[in-house]
Amino acid sequence: MDLWANLYGGFEIALTWQNLGLALLGCFLGTIMGALPGLGPSNGVAILIPLAFTLGLDATSSLILLTAVYYGAMYGGRISSILLNIPGDEPAMMTCLDGYPMARKGMAGEALALSGIASFVGAFLATWGLILLAPQLVKLALLFGPAEYFALFALAFATLGGVSSTNQAKSAFAAMLGLGLAMIGVDTQTGVPRLTFGEVHLYDGLDFLVAIVGLFALSEVFVFLEHRHGSADAEESKVKVGRIVPPMPMVIKTIPTMLRTSFLGFVAGVLPGAGASLGSFISYSMEKKLVDKEGTFGTGDPRGVAAPEAGNNAAAGGALVPMLALGVPGSGTTAVLLAVLLSLNITPGPLLFQNNPDVVWGLIAALFIGNLMLLAMNIPMVGLFTRVLLIPPRILMPVVAMVSFVGIYGISGSSFDLLVMIAFGLAGWILRKLDVPLVPVILGTLLGNTMENNLRRAVTIDNGNWWTLVDSPLAITLWAIAIAGFILPVFVGKVVKARMQRRDEEGSLSD
Amino acid sequence: MSDRIFGGFGVLLAVFYAWAALQTEESFLSDAVGPKAFPVIIAIILGLSSAVIALRPDPEPVWPPLARLAEIGAAAVVMILYAQFLPEAGFIIATALAAMYLTWRLGSPVVQSVVIGALTALVIYIIFHAVLGLSLARGPLDAYVDTVVDPVLGAIGAFFEMFGGSGADEAAPEATGATGAGD
Amino acid sequence: MKTSIIRAAMAVAALGLAGTAHAESHGFSPENPECIAPANPGGGWDFTCRQVGKSLQDQGLIEKTMQVVNLAGGGGGVAFAEVVNKRGDDNDLIVAASSATATRLAQGAYPGNTMDQVRWLASIGADYGVIAVAADSEITTLPALLDAIKSDPASISVAGGSAVGGWDHLKVLIAANAYGIEDVRSVKYIAFDGGGEAVTQLLAGSVQAFTGDISEAKGFVDSGDIKVIAVLAPERLGGEFSEMPTAKEQGVDAIGANWRGFYAPAGMSDEAYDAWVSKIADLYASDEWKEIMAANGLAPLDLQGADFQNFVSDSVAQIQSISKEIGIIK
Repeated sequence: MDLWANLYGGFEIALTWQNLGLALLGCFLGTIMGALPGLGPSNGVAILIPLAFTLGLDATSSLILLTAVYYGAMYGGRISSILLNIPGDEPAMMTCLDGYPMARKGMAGEALALSGIASFVGAFLATWGLILLAPQLVKLALLFGPAEYFALFALAFATLGGVSSTNQAKSAFAAMLGLGLAMIGVDTQTGVPRLTFGEVHLYDGLDFLVAIVGLFALSEVFVFLEHRHGSADAEESKVKVGRIVPPMPMVIKTIPTMLRTSFLGFVAGVLPGAGASLGSFISYSMEKKLVDKEGTFGTGDPRGVAAPEAGNNAAAGGALVPMLALGVPGSGTTAVLLAVLLSLNITPGPLLFQNNPDVVWGLIAALFIGNLMLLAMNIPMVGLFTRVLLIPPRILMPVVAMVSFVGIYGISGSSFDLLVMIAFGLAGWILRKLDVPLVPVILGTLLGNTMENNLRRAVTIDNGNWWTLVDSPLAITLWAIAIAGFILPVFVGKVVKARMQRRDEEGSLSD
Repeated sequence: MSDRIFGGFGVLLAVFYAWAALQTEESFLSDAVGPKAFPVIIAIILGLSSAVIALRPDPEPVWPPLARLAEIGAAAVVMILYAQFLPEAGFIIATALAAMYLTWRLGSPVVQSVVIGALTALVIYIIFHAVLGLSLARGPLDAYVDTVVDPVLGAIGAFFEMFGGSGADEAAPEATGATGAGD
Repeated sequence: MKTSIIRAAMAVAALGLAGTAHAESHGFSPENPECIAPANPGGGWDFTCRQVGKSLQDQGLIEKTMQVVNLAGGGGGVAFAEVVNKRGDDNDLIVAASSATATRLAQGAYPGNTMDQVRWLASIGADYGVIAVAADSEITTLPALLDAIKSDPASISVAGGSAVGGWDHLKVLIAANAYGIEDVRSVKYIAFDGGGEAVTQLLAGSVQAFTGDISEAKGFVDSGDIKVIAVLAPERLGGEFSEMPTAKEQGVDAIGANWRGFYAPAGMSDEAYDAWVSKIADLYASDEWKEIMAANGLAPLDLQGADFQNFVSDSVAQIQSISKEIGIIK
């Protein structure tokens, strides 16, 4: 069969000592960059481009190195989410919701190992999806016009209620705050500056990395300062880190979750403009709606750890589909990878699979290899990672703060960004005090511009007719799900609310 | 009460936001929606949700005593100073000082704080600047650190070169010299 | 100085190269060649920097690896201001530029900056504009498309990768203007994030036409998904592009070339300026660069030094007059 011959050829290309070494190096550096707040997959890949060029690597080897970094960062992001409640990169945001509570319950080891397995499953299935379905999936991407994208984003925000907070009004407030912040900067449609108050630094808008590091990492530092003599001092309380290998029943129980969310995440990844963050978010909120009968999501449910991790790693694989087959990057990271391909004189597009089969199949083989390496590397290292919890917060928190500053400054070289980040840190502390969820703020800053642009494109294409937004079967379906997702929690809200209240009294740490 | 104040503040924020959005100067050529519509929609929902928060407040959160608030404020001031002086003082000095302060305020003894702060700065510098290759603010101390770090990097560079396969074994030490003595 | 594994590895690689290909001897040779790409990785400017940096080194024209710095912001304005204000006398620095830079300078989109504040080095090629439709579209010629727009502007959405008033938009307006459409502002233009996304929406059927560069359209033309109804070039291009009709031969006198090139700080020494100009000229003349141009659909545009300086100032003046005519600027 053609497929196997191609795959075999791919492995022949990828399985050289040089390429294996590059994959290992990429996985390792990627994991570190993913785990450090402020450095994510996209700047991780960008930082290593010069290395690929200066080593004089050919196209396939460069891609192997850089996709290993990409996958490594997707794995690495979860580590700081689980251990510190600080997402290492934006797709790992949802992993905080259940990962950190698990760690607080003394199950950090289990959470890390389980999320490692979930990441593997997601990425593994997505790679098969890439092989088997790429041509058909491109057609799926073509079903999404501007109106459909807008409906998809609306769906994401509509299902927010109840995912990260008990109070829908506060979720909505947080989402609007995020969207509002995203509007700052030069309007990409007409080129006029908006809400910048004449400040040139704001013309390019606020970087969502600045927002995420400020809101999560710095606010965590402020929380510790607030409780200096309180429960936060981990020196006295004996920290339990849990087992390094998760119990079999826990893994088996989460398998259906992993399969479902791998699929969802993959589809979200395939749609250019949705990306890995949306993949992990939708995976988490859908899974919660589907299986969370007891209201344990958000309190350290293993399924709540498996869902976003399988989802975001599958989305990372899915995002390669439009990049390779259409030349359209579906995420920041794939945009960088696309640049690399172009500068290596390879033009992604409909003919890439025919014109450069060695690149495509070498890459696919590399994805399998990198994924296996990451699993092999991550499970034994769980014990090492959990040691972080043994460091007392009075030492750990300043390190977190300084790493956050360096991560942001190293990318942008701008003191202004640091000031904005401090402002976000203080705002994050106040919002946490008031029980306003932070996840929707990030989601808003992340998706705001794309959402607005798609709205404006859709309406402009239809000459100012806003009804165009509900003009196709796909758009109507998405809106229907969005409305159901928004209304249902209000109806069953009473029951859930009572349950959540109980949860809160137990001292939950939703975010 | 907190939620009522917060909700009220949110409504004001929404009004201000809508006003600021309407100040946007539209260009001659525009699309059917324009740059103001979406921000105004956001402001409306922001205002509505703030009103709901004000009218149906959650239970009162526990606010820290004034001393703790001052602590947080002081930390924020230190961070702001850090951001301002980073480009002049250079990375290592600024980071060490800021880390010392935070470590001290989080309950470490003074001497320990100094040691931990300095180590924090050094380790972060090595990871971000040396291993990951990000350009950080340069100050007086950094050059000394580089002279220690560089030979190690040269060795690692040589290791990479083996992957590259052009067999420049003897070039590696020279390269280290080149980067070390560059500028 | 920026010490890092990467730099160490770069230096190692550079030394390895220097052994084989001996460096060209000019009076000046950059110590630490640096190219600012005024955008995030992935765009045309980034491509320009990386491709030229790589080729210059491959051919031994520079000894060290060109360090590419991405300095995004304000559509290139942040980088322009940085070069003018802070790096004014840097001899090692070149900055990627294109028609988009000229467009923004012409429209005053870099507040307080003008094209005279830097020295324009040389061009490395041009990407001629194309107007394309989906392969199954009923429209097959440029006049047919423009007629459709003339009779009912609302019926045709044109997608492009630049913002409203940007270069992709201007190209279609130039064509409409040349065809005698009175109020070119009635042309319905939809801005997408880059040419790739715009072509995708053409395939999806959300829009009826695409305006962009040949390089953006090439992959989809090869696969038969879209057809180019006009190239905005003075005459037909060579090679595999020779099938595409020009706008001119269809009676629409419109030319739109997205040139790519470099500028350097105003305070760069004459010696360094001349060295950079001649290095880029040598690169341009090489066979390797011809291949890269062919592979990327770049058409010849061979201008260096003073010629390039004049070319840029002409094109700024031209864009200024078009923009005034259609009312983007006053």
